Amino acid sequence: MKAEIVVVGSGISGLTSAALLAKKGRRVIILERNKRPGGALKRFTRRGIPFDIGFHYSGGMGKGEILRALWKYIGVWPRLAVLPFPEEGNENLRIRDSGRVVRAFFSYDRLEDELQRVFPDEKQGISTYLNKIREISSTIPFFNPDLPLTPYLHDLFSPKGMSLAQLLTSLIQDTDLYAVLSTPVFLYGVPPREVNLTIHASVAHPLYSGVYAIDGGGQAIVDAFLETLAETGVDILTGQEVESVIVKENQVAGVKTSGGEIYASHVIYTGHPTSLLDLVPDGIFRKAFCNRLRNLINTHSMFIVFGAIDDPDTLGDMTWVNYYNIRTGLDIMDLDLRHPEKSIMVNAPGRRDSYSTGASRGVLLIRMSAWDEVARFDQDAQGKRSAAYRKWKAESADKMIEQAGRLWGDACSRIEPLAIGTPLTFRDRLGSPMGATYGVRHSMNQFSPGVRTRLPGLWLSGQGTLMAGIMGASLAGMVTAGEIEGLEPLWDEVRQCR
Amino acid sequence: MISEEQVRRRVTQIMAEEFELEPELLQPDATLYEDLGLDSLDAVDMVVALEKAFGMKMTDEEAVRAVRTMGDLFELVCRLSNQQAAKE
Repeated sequence: MKAEIVVVGSGISGLTSAALLAKKGRRVIILERNKRPGGALKRFTRRGIPFDIGFHYSGGMGKGEILRALWKYIGVWPRLAVLPFPEEGNENLRIRDSGRVVRAFFSYDRLEDELQRVFPDEKQGISTYLNKIREISSTIPFFNPDLPLTPYLHDLFSPKGMSLAQLLTSLIQDTDLYAVLSTPVFLYGVPPREVNLTIHASVAHPLYSGVYAIDGGGQAIVDAFLETLAETGVDILTGQEVESVIVKENQVAGVKTSGGEIYASHVIYTGHPTSLLDLVPDGIFRKAFCNRLRNLINTHSMFIVFGAIDDPDTLGDMTWVNYYNIRTGLDIMDLDLRHPEKSIMVNAPGRRDSYSTGASRGVLLIRMSAWDEVARFDQDAQGKRSAAYRKWKAESADKMIEQAGRLWGDACSRIEPLAIGTPLTFRDRLGSPMGATYGVRHSMNQFSPGVRTRLPGLWLSGQGTLMAGIMGASLAGMVTAGEIEGLEPLWDEVRQCR
Repeated sequence: MISEEQVRRRVTQIMAEEFELEPELLQPDATLYEDLGLDSLDAVDMVVALEKAFGMKMTDEEAVRAVRTMGDLFELVCRLSNQQAAKE
């Protein structure tokens, strides 16, 4: 088989790259090792109830905002039914140490009012923090599209500047407020002491500017992309594991897969950057590059209970409110595995989805998790986990349900777990080392990998190369396509769609 | 305090191993980009490898960008590792 460009991986970054390159007239093939395309955006169903794994809500979809512009340019936007969170939507943050409850609204103004009400002694610090996030976001082209992309991308990969923790401690005294203002870290996976303000603002700014769900969840996004890709002649080959990158005369010539060879002059690899090393013949990359990719520090994983509730009305406002129980201070990402009261998050996205039609609706309970929790169970082949693992999983889920019931009312204790995701699940299903939710950690302690590699024609993409989350990964797909087609001209066309 | 000679020996060793270069080429007057054939992609890998080996941060981007020769590199690593050791 032959193509101009092979995209390895059909998550949102691969779909975005493929759609952009096909729009430019390139012959593109996407390879996916799983049976169904879509990566972490895919849905699965249990007892007729649809569940999302990786996509729950995102910013950037308001008028003039970047994800909307990019998806309009690609042609997927008109295929999506976007559901803006209503004004009352928020992250309901309960600080477990003080019992204080703060509603983090998805709006700069409402958030500022609420924070100043709960923390009247910190008025100045709150305003300064929010202004700082606004100010930084105005230097990021994704939020100020009049700016060119190249200088920003060049600067992004060097870990420098002030950390979020430094900013917060310079402005604020109350440790509960540290925790509240740090919560966007859950959406990109870097602890406050390790993240610089640019990375933080890239997630906090869209969050404070308004968030959106999509009817049909991540699957609706995947389906919209698949329709668009079919129209532009992109083939998606599923069940195809890439075994190696074919190199001829020190340049990419294609890939060898479980199904045969596909010749192409460009290969975009959207998997975890460390996994790329297994696919490239020895001697192509220098040891320094291999060591750098091999030693990348990743984000944590998650433990997710996909549950059902028979009488969803009893969950009150959980449709548009995400309930969190977090610890005070800057260490909100520390895994408090021994603490009886874990940091958890509950919400009921099933209630806002027209694809959920039965009486029972889907509810998610999420907490952070680390590989250490499951390493001892990783001995059997996939699909043949031990009884001890199943028991641990079920008990951990029951504890979370019991805790949610205690914190947020009886209705939560009636959640019935239908499926459970652990770091093992996410590693095996999503191909992320140790089940890392957001892949490579965009930390001040390391240089994140860029899009280019030393091998002409071989490119990286995915959330590890730019930003975490659906917005980060889709923009990463755009940047990689731009590196092949010409970054600024492509950026210019995308931003016209605002 | 780490001596200039120690820094020079260790930097040479790392550059030889990590970039598969002949140690005798790594003389102070050898230029990284023209003589040794490194490029801007290698520069980040070089910084990462040296940071790890010397347990220091090379976040002063201007200083790193100003490095042209192995001699410049010896000098920068020496200065940064002693500065940062003194702070600790």
